[in-house]
Amino acid sequence: MADTVMHPQRPPHPVLRTDLSPEGRGARGLDLASAPPLPGGRGRRAAPGEGAFRRSPRLNLPNLATYALLILGAGIMLLPFAWMLSTSLKTRGATFVTPPQWIPDPVTFDNYGKVFDSAPVGQFLFNSLFVSLTSTALMVLFCAMSGYAFARIEFRGRTVLFYAYLATLMIPQQVTLTPLFIIMNWLGWTNTYQALILPSSFGAFGTFLLRQFFLRLPREIEEAAFIDGAGYIRIVFTIAIHLARPALATLAVFAFMASWNSFLWPLIITTDTSMMTLPLGLSALQGRWTTDWNVLMAGTVIATVPIIAVYVFAQRFIIKGLSHTGLK
Amino acid sequence: MSPAAPRQKYLALAVLLGPSLAGMFVFLMLPVASSLVLSFSNWDLIGEIQWIGLDNYVAALGDPVVLGALRNTLTYILGYLPATVGIALGLALLLNRRIRGRVVFRAIYFVPVVTSWVAVSLIWKWLLNPQYGLVNVALGWFGIKGPGWLFDPQWAMTGVILTSIWKDIGFVTVIYLAGLQDIPEHLYEAAALDGVTGWQRFWHITFPMLVPTTFFVTTISLISSFQVFDQVWVMTQGGPAGATSVMVELIYKNAFSYYRMGYASAISWVLFALIFAVTIAQHVLQKRVDRSDG
Amino acid sequence: MLRRTFTGLLLATALVTPALAEDVTIKYFTFSAAPNYLKELDATIAAFEAEHPGIKVEYETAGWDAYFTKLQTVVAARQAPDAFELNYENFVTYADKGALADLTPLIAADTGFSTDVYNPTALAAFAQDGKQFGLVESFSNVVLFYNKDLFDKAGVAYPTADWTWTEELEAAQKLTDPANGVWGDFAPIQFWEFYKTIAQNGGSILSPDKKTVTIDSPQNIETLTWMIDKVNKYKVTPSDVDMAGQSSEDLFKAGKIAMLRTGIWLLGDFAANAPFKWDIALEPGKTQKAHHFFANGVAVSATSAHPAEAYQWIKFLTSSRAAVDLRIAAGWELPAVSDAAAVQGYLDQPIPESREVVFQALDTAVVPPVIGNWNQLTDAVGKELEAAKLGQKTPEQALKDAKVAIEALL
Repeated sequence: MADTVMHPQRPPHPVLRTDLSPEGRGARGLDLASAPPLPGGRGRRAAPGEGAFRRSPRLNLPNLATYALLILGAGIMLLPFAWMLSTSLKTRGATFVTPPQWIPDPVTFDNYGKVFDSAPVGQFLFNSLFVSLTSTALMVLFCAMSGYAFARIEFRGRTVLFYAYLATLMIPQQVTLTPLFIIMNWLGWTNTYQALILPSSFGAFGTFLLRQFFLRLPREIEEAAFIDGAGYIRIVFTIAIHLARPALATLAVFAFMASWNSFLWPLIITTDTSMMTLPLGLSALQGRWTTDWNVLMAGTVIATVPIIAVYVFAQRFIIKGLSHTGLK
Repeated sequence: MSPAAPRQKYLALAVLLGPSLAGMFVFLMLPVASSLVLSFSNWDLIGEIQWIGLDNYVAALGDPVVLGALRNTLTYILGYLPATVGIALGLALLLNRRIRGRVVFRAIYFVPVVTSWVAVSLIWKWLLNPQYGLVNVALGWFGIKGPGWLFDPQWAMTGVILTSIWKDIGFVTVIYLAGLQDIPEHLYEAAALDGVTGWQRFWHITFPMLVPTTFFVTTISLISSFQVFDQVWVMTQGGPAGATSVMVELIYKNAFSYYRMGYASAISWVLFALIFAVTIAQHVLQKRVDRSDG
Repeated sequence: MLRRTFTGLLLATALVTPALAEDVTIKYFTFSAAPNYLKELDATIAAFEAEHPGIKVEYETAGWDAYFTKLQTVVAARQAPDAFELNYENFVTYADKGALADLTPLIAADTGFSTDVYNPTALAAFAQDGKQFGLVESFSNVVLFYNKDLFDKAGVAYPTADWTWTEELEAAQKLTDPANGVWGDFAPIQFWEFYKTIAQNGGSILSPDKKTVTIDSPQNIETLTWMIDKVNKYKVTPSDVDMAGQSSEDLFKAGKIAMLRTGIWLLGDFAANAPFKWDIALEPGKTQKAHHFFANGVAVSATSAHPAEAYQWIKFLTSSRAAVDLRIAAGWELPAVSDAAAVQGYLDQPIPESREVVFQALDTAVVPPVIGNWNQLTDAVGKELEAAKLGQKTPEQALKDAKVAIEALL
């Protein structure tokens, strides 16, 4: 690790991206975002292209087999969601019948009504959206700035600081919750939006991701700006952030996802129903004695649809972010 | 980098790194450091703190329950990791072909990645229901009587692993896709001139070129697998008969059910040491491969 | 810090201007109200606030699973709510650790109020070393529910108070109807059911002084064998796989279980949702009768700034007629009050017929042998019982191993 830090022009070593945040503070999924600066490099970079195969698509045997496999796999990926949707539209009685019904008969929307009756779902939805959007914006901003600083500014203790960032990813969140709560309480922030937002606005993962991204950027552009008298700060906000847009978008999706799905921290820090988020509402649908699967699945649909919508909207950027096209 | 005046450099550091460092310090490093401090105590969260030195560590290393959880965690990793990486690699190869609709396919395979673990676990708990679940119903079409899955200690971990593979495959696939796009076209062109195709092409070009990517996904998956928790908690709570009890589940129980925050913190730092060791080992291995690679 | 100073200033201002004395707000934390009894809780609070101008109650609810995680964290940060609910087992832990305010002086100073309003056994559960650390809010127990229609169809006589396990098994065998997926009998094989069932055979987990572990006694082995045999040998009870994630309560409601040992907290649900005739009876025992006794209490935090007001609230919540009536009407557990007239409304409800069984069962109540490491004990024993249930260990071996595990916790 140290040698990479000393010679930032060398393509980053993959192990640096073991920075990775497991669930706890942010979602394993965040890792995806680290793909842009993937190794490969070593000066043998591909011409930006469509991949290894240049033939035009034809319906030959291998292609048919490919389609068959892909469609089968896609089915496996989507069936559980179809099942979730189907169950959410069933009556309680129809939930447990053999063989299981694919198309609910009768179709009922009562389960959604029950979810909305059980809690102020509208308020939860607003809280979840507000908290996730704000923390995502902050995360992207802070990580872009700090990532650039780690990539381009040499200073004493940089390596040590790296390790300190890294360590925060390797300790399960379960044992840091209570200390964090005590800190928040000391700040007088329990039951506030800032307490929900700020802990998911920082993360070693995003910083590393963007640091890796900046390390791969050729320095020529910045050199020119330096000659023009621009400082680091101006370069970050005028050039670097612009160039890093795909990587920022990728980070944004995962930051949003992590915040949206976060459960333990909101559970502990909110005491007022008006401050609670969707996952808390979802957990309250599981009774101590019995679980109404159909109602629970309706709640799951409500909690899942927004995140899938965000992804579908942003996926264009993710693929770009992953395809090293930031400099095209 | 162009030499900047020291003053400008420190100003830039303060502005660019300052906010991140402040936030990281207060919200992450301080709690992490606290857990280290607490690991030397027997704090029950409710009463006063007493310092007991290394007792928690000594107890943890000799605790059969901890060792059992460690064994289950390793079982999980062994079942999950090779399958996920293997399937994802195959999928990436398929999705890297120039076929119609591959953007749609990529999107579909990625949907489970963005769905919350709680939702995924709930859905799969339902799918793996021995009688009414889709999985056993589908097995029934082929005349196979499905197992009791989460109710059967022999199969519960398999159920958890299947669920995890399903959720994470899209993520690993996308990383492989990025790696595949990094392979220079001219290598394949040269190979084609030599008459190398199909399986040989994969074995002699694609696979070696993907080694760094493979190292990468293996390491990050290892780190997160060591901390597997959400799916276990929702699906089995460690059961049946402790068959899916994993490290973080044990940590959670000790912290919040047994009133043993100190012990939970100590187990966490044992886990930290393991993860750290594996990461370093991976780093060393990668270096060696790099070197032999030329 | 700044904030604290600011609060201090506010407080000082409040002190010098008594005319503007602010309402005291009590924070109350509950699991039993969520998610089904929030309306009743709101009504109880409204009645309390009407009776006690100057005291406001704010409440927070959490599901059972999340409740204690959260309670511990706020207690750890010295931010406990003024009053909170505790089940009996967790009460022991919190009282042991000094987290609860001693209510004895408040009760003594409360002229015109006597703890005689509570069921004495239930109230005593929330006292330690002669100090009252909580007031009992409600109790519940477990009885034998049975589906009369299935009994009639199979031509079996209804359970009576003098049934033993023998009669129960005979009936269960006649009632079991694999073709229609009907099971004769159900009792879960887990820790809670176990400590009660062994009591029905004269066994126990710990000696009365809680110093000796008695879990591996011959009659306990016999009891566990019987519990497991109902599943594996006699096949009158469904296994986990047979149940496929449905709760026994769901199966009972679907008419698939003829006899079910479960809690009276389900009376309301079954009365509303079971489309057949059913009733309750005392549980059969082997050598003696034994019934669960679960109690929820409400305690005042040791760190509350308003213990007197918090006490007023929990007293109202647990014993006022208004609260008791709301509870009974909603079937929100059973208030642990001694006044027979107060619970008459409970007995008067038409379904099921034999509601008096709930009170009869109290005569043979067994309380769990709570020790300091209670949750560890229940998990450790639970794991062994599960191993026996799954056939990984013989009942004898499982209980021997459980003994070793418990001894490590004492």
